Amino acid sequence: MTSKESEVLLKKGYAYAIRTKWREALALYDKALSSDPTNPEAWYLRASVFIEIGRNTEALEDCERAITLNQNFAGAWSKKGHALYNLERYEEAVSACARALALNGNDAAAWYIKGVCLDELGRSREAQEAYGKSLELEIILDIEKEKKRQG
Amino acid sequence: MKTDMPLSKPVRLLISQTEDLLDTEISLIRNPEADPNGTLVDIYTYNVERNIILLPSHYIGLLKDFLIARHCVHLLIKGSAAKKSHYLVCSFTGDSMYRGIHQIYIDALKDEAKKEKKLPVIKLIRMLGILYSNVNDEINELPWNPITNASVYHRMPPLRKTQLYYLMKEGKMDMDAMVEYESVIPRRYFVLSKSMFYARDQYLAKTLPADELMPVVNIPQMKKFNHLEVKEMLTTRWTHTSWYQSRIFGDTMLEIMEKYLQNIDWNAEPGLDYFHEIYKTGVKMTDHFLSYMSMKGWFAWESSKHLLEAREKKAAYEYGALKKIFGDLIEKSALDDGTET
Repeated sequence: MTSKESEVLLKKGYAYAIRTKWREALALYDKALSSDPTNPEAWYLRASVFIEIGRNTEALEDCERAITLNQNFAGAWSKKGHALYNLERYEEAVSACARALALNGNDAAAWYIKGVCLDELGRSREAQEAYGKSLELEIILDIEKEKKRQG
Repeated sequence: MKTDMPLSKPVRLLISQTEDLLDTEISLIRNPEADPNGTLVDIYTYNVERNIILLPSHYIGLLKDFLIARHCVHLLIKGSAAKKSHYLVCSFTGDSMYRGIHQIYIDALKDEAKKEKKLPVIKLIRMLGILYSNVNDEINELPWNPITNASVYHRMPPLRKTQLYYLMKEGKMDMDAMVEYESVIPRRYFVLSKSMFYARDQYLAKTLPADELMPVVNIPQMKKFNHLEVKEMLTTRWTHTSWYQSRIFGDTMLEIMEKYLQNIDWNAEPGLDYFHEIYKTGVKMTDHFLSYMSMKGWFAWESSKHLLEAREKKAAYEYGALKKIFGDLIEKSALDDGTET
């Protein structure tokens, strides 16, 4: 299978994932990864599904594979933060989110997870800052979404 | 609680508290098709085995938390009523639907008499049932909106900025809803429906102090609201021509709202008795709204099961009501396939 065919599988898998059809998405991502394990995007996408279905340790492993292949992959760092949060490894989650935000400061999810983890660690003032940033970005996203919806 | 999504601490605590008080479980589910306000599918209202809060997929942070908080408070109100006495909703019967539809018809005739371009008869007939159901939905939802909002404001200070954004967004959506049918709906009902939303907006603008809720000014789209008080902004919105009459009735509805809600201690110990008292206040306020809108005989306080069954029988009730009003002019097929009678 060529990497082009693998791309097609990823696209199909993503189409299932946005409709919350996790099993179908996972099957396609597995297939894509077995044919081309050098694509960091594929590891990242599979990690996203693993998180949704509560398989957080596997999600973390996939994020790490993606990061090994591309150290500057902001999305993978952010997803790693999410997996670590779910595994209640808050300190490490804050570090992963910080790395994600250094690469892409407009990641609302990373700001939010950083806020939640800081709150868990009792660092309330820092948490509020992170929440504030996350809210700003989330509102911008929501306004854009609403505009699109109204055509 | 069944979820893998990250949640801020106060929201997680509220969910646990809700589950403990009601001895129930809440599942949080994100769905791309979910309503922008989120949806609460609960065991007290629907024939389901677990409580579900459905959330739009793109709400990932505090917007999601705010919706969860509001639905949890609503669930606490419903659940406490069910546990302490009975959870009742505004339901309808064939007779009550006839009373509602008949009144709407009389008002529609008055409006039609003044119109140059008359509404086609079949459109007018169809509108009667749709409008009646719409009023039923609104009266079951709207009175609880200022209550859940005020409760979240007082109990969850970290969500206040989010709440401000949401109030602005929801207020705009509610203002714009039905505007495209303005020429079809009798003026009285358009104005009354909007008046309820106006009263909600004004109540919340008064309840949620503006100084704490100054908009998040770093957002380019919200810069225009800088230095503008929430109350000022919400009042200005309602001065446009489509809605100006809503303010006249809306001010009275605001008085009704304040009369009942001023007695609630929003910071009291949140036990079952407390939420049951809030439920009873909401019921009294709803009754007062219905009486003010001259809709007293339109609905009856019944179990949610009664309402679900009434919704199933709605078409038959509607046909019966129309038959009573229009006699043999009404053919069932005319309502089904859209052909003119």
